[in-house]
Amino acid sequence: MKLRLSPQTLRVLEVFLDDPRAWRYGYDISRVTGLKSGSLYPILMRLADRKLLDTDWETNEAGKPPRHLYRLTPDGLALARERFSKPASIRQRRTALSGAEG
Amino acid sequence: MSLLRRLAVRWLETVGRNAPPACREWASAMLHELDFIESDWAALLWAVGSTAAVSRHCLRAWVRGRKEEATMKDAAMKVAGVLLGVLIAVAVMGAGAFGVHGVLFRFFPALEHHGAPWPVWIFALLLEALLVVGTVKLWQKRRPMAIGILLAAVVFGTHFVVHLATHWNG
Repeated sequence: MKLRLSPQTLRVLEVFLDDPRAWRYGYDISRVTGLKSGSLYPILMRLADRKLLDTDWETNEAGKPPRHLYRLTPDGLALARERFSKPASIRQRRTALSGAEG
Repeated sequence: MSLLRRLAVRWLETVGRNAPPACREWASAMLHELDFIESDWAALLWAVGSTAAVSRHCLRAWVRGRKEEATMKDAAMKVAGVLLGVLIAVAVMGAGAFGVHGVLFRFFPALEHHGAPWPVWIFALLLEALLVVGTVKLWQKRRPMAIGILLAAVVFGTHFVVHLATHWNG
């Protein structure tokens, strides 16, 4: 099934592209992209379902609850890079970014 | 912990407890983020949004599961229908074969002693016609069963033609 890359999904992918090897927290992605949990998590779930996103649990530090971590898989990274290399996607990305700022 | 934050935590804990296993991990992930949200109102809104996200994900997974289940059930029913059709055709052919032996040759023993093949041929053609009629009748309402009968009819017909070809003396 083809993944629909909405402006919101592109925003999420862009966050992961900043440092592809880094694991990220849900709330941090939400803050950077400006997406609420009700919009962000369906995107993460869809990416994970399509094996484009790796998920893991943070090793528990004393007194802190473990947090869920996210990182693009090699397939996800390839898709993100491909999308951001296309001129149409750059336009879409700009629209998405201006939407996030405005 | 403020009342709002307690409410958000309880809310997401309840969602996590009642979510199907496939969604529980996600509900838990959203719950554990609550501790890192500074504002209480933001935490409550996070819980509300998370509930919507988990619900949608669970619903989608459930619908997908039901569709797969229905597809598998449908396929199993079709295979069972085809097998039943083959069984019915074999039963009809078996009953017909015994019928020829038991009835035709009992009442007309001369036919058996004479060794003429045509009574058997006529019987085979009648049987083949019966199977074809059965297939046509069942085609609209019970297609898998009709396919099973047709399959048996084709095998039987082929056998008959091969038999004729190899035993034909002119």
